[in-house]
Amino acid sequence: MDAQGQESFREFVAGRSSALLKTAVLLSGGDRHAAEDLLQNALIKAAGRWHRIDEPEAYVRQVLYRQQISRWRLKWRRREVSVAELPEEGTDDGDGAAAAELRLVMRGALARLTARQRTVLVLRYFEDLPEADVARILGCSVGTVRSTTHRSLARLRALAPELAALGPADAEREPSRDYSPVEVRP
Amino acid sequence: MNVDELVRDALREQAAGPMPLPSGFADRVLAVRRRRRNRTIAGAAAVTALAVGLSVPALSGGGEDVRPASEMNKSDIIAHPHQSPPRDMIAAGDTALAAFYVRENDKQSNGDVISKRVYGLLDQKTGKYRKTRWAFLDVAPGMRTAAVLEDELPARRIGLLDMITGKVDRWIPVEHGVAGVAFSSDGEKLVATTYSKNPDRNFADHPQNINGKDVPGPLPSRTGFSVVDVDSGKEDWHRAPYWKDETGWSANARDDFEFSHDDQYVYADIPMDPGREYYDLEGNKTGIPAAEKHVSWAEAGLSPDGKLVGGDFAGDGDEISSEIVDSRTGKRITTVPGQQLLAWADNKRLIAWGCDPERCNGKNEFRNQLLLITIGSDKVVQLSDFRKASDDYPGRWVPLFTERRS
Repeated sequence: MDAQGQESFREFVAGRSSALLKTAVLLSGGDRHAAEDLLQNALIKAAGRWHRIDEPEAYVRQVLYRQQISRWRLKWRRREVSVAELPEEGTDDGDGAAAAELRLVMRGALARLTARQRTVLVLRYFEDLPEADVARILGCSVGTVRSTTHRSLARLRALAPELAALGPADAEREPSRDYSPVEVRP
Repeated sequence: MNVDELVRDALREQAAGPMPLPSGFADRVLAVRRRRRNRTIAGAAAVTALAVGLSVPALSGGGEDVRPASEMNKSDIIAHPHQSPPRDMIAAGDTALAAFYVRENDKQSNGDVISKRVYGLLDQKTGKYRKTRWAFLDVAPGMRTAAVLEDELPARRIGLLDMITGKVDRWIPVEHGVAGVAFSSDGEKLVATTYSKNPDRNFADHPQNINGKDVPGPLPSRTGFSVVDVDSGKEDWHRAPYWKDETGWSANARDDFEFSHDDQYVYADIPMDPGREYYDLEGNKTGIPAAEKHVSWAEAGLSPDGKLVGGDFAGDGDEISSEIVDSRTGKRITTVPGQQLLAWADNKRLIAWGCDPERCNGKNEFRNQLLLITIGSDKVVQLSDFRKASDDYPGRWVPLFTERRS
């Protein structure tokens, strides 16, 4: 990479790193150090082909997602995830507090999903992408996205009994019969 | 509330608010990338070395995630007009003062005298010149690596020194003793000049008469040159004995080779016209490449685009100036207020020994400093103070310039 390329790369990182780090933190289940590693590796890949990338942010995001999936597939040693301590079960002093408490419980449960499950949920519910787009990004079938979403939500309920009272998501109402393995293009 | 709504809310809450990265994250990424690439290169080098029976330690390529000082300060002109010898990095345009040296005579018990170099080499961690005791060195373009030779010359291995850590990352063993090294303009090759004796040693049993007095004299011993592939450590040696006239007289003991402007040839200066002798990289003696036909003895040589030549002294009377020549026709295009043209900063500016006309008024050519001069302009920028010795560097310092960006 020449000096000009390095300059534009630095500008991109300075301008977009906060947004990208947020995604990386979510993908890492709240582990900030793992998120920085994830983002660093994605940016290294982007730097290697900087002059050939038209949409750097889209490229880096795609690498972030796929890296997560690949890490899972390759059975890389899973990092111990430290999460904020769950609040003691206390009195319900209002709807706001109860909702905040539920969000924290959910955050803890999300951190305990597999990387693949969490990635699919981040794409579906944080990025608000349709199943077809998630499938394209992850290089798998729509059926796989649907079944993974379904199983991930079920797993969340299993991990946190506090979530049992919640209504089913759309994805849970029509369970997919597609249990094909995740296919990730290299 | 549905479970998917809670997932959405929890994720958004977790991502809310600013999430700044550590400062310098982009540079950390670039440094790690460089290091990984270098590891890959070193891996390939190790495999090749194994194949040819050499031992090449891994190249760490930076050692730490530290940006070189030359990348931290990218100012077009970095001048220290009150420093001589320089303490802090000097640079202009694409070129920087990568190192300098002074000579120090080291008398031996047998009466020989070795004229040693004491180098000030740019420390890329601090941006300052650090005194080193290498017998000889050259700095690669980009100023991350220096090729170094140990005492006593000729050396049996070439060190690749990391200019951030100050340590040798790899040693390249050589079959023929080497006393001079020079990088190609892409930094991928080295030309190593081979000698049978130390070209910096003056021999008591080979005296020369200076001012009516016999003193130890030099002994020409150049045997040839090796073209060394920096990545693999592979070398190709070619015989190229020292120049001598028909009576057997030779001017210098040291006649080092350097790469031509296009890296296709190597050349060494000779004391007779045409001033240089050229060899191709297979070791065949050739004529002067057309592009270098009008290159003079001035060190600046061809401009980066190859269109101009930094020429010889062209002053008249008290005037101190040098000529700029059209590389195609050899005709003088203009003159510039420099006494000795040393290096091109870019296609329009040169670094030269000289004296700011406002301070010198054309007097005393030995009172000189590094100047940045611009073709077609009277404007002169002082890059260093007037050349003088210091306790650390007892002598007139000689600059070594390198392209500061790789």
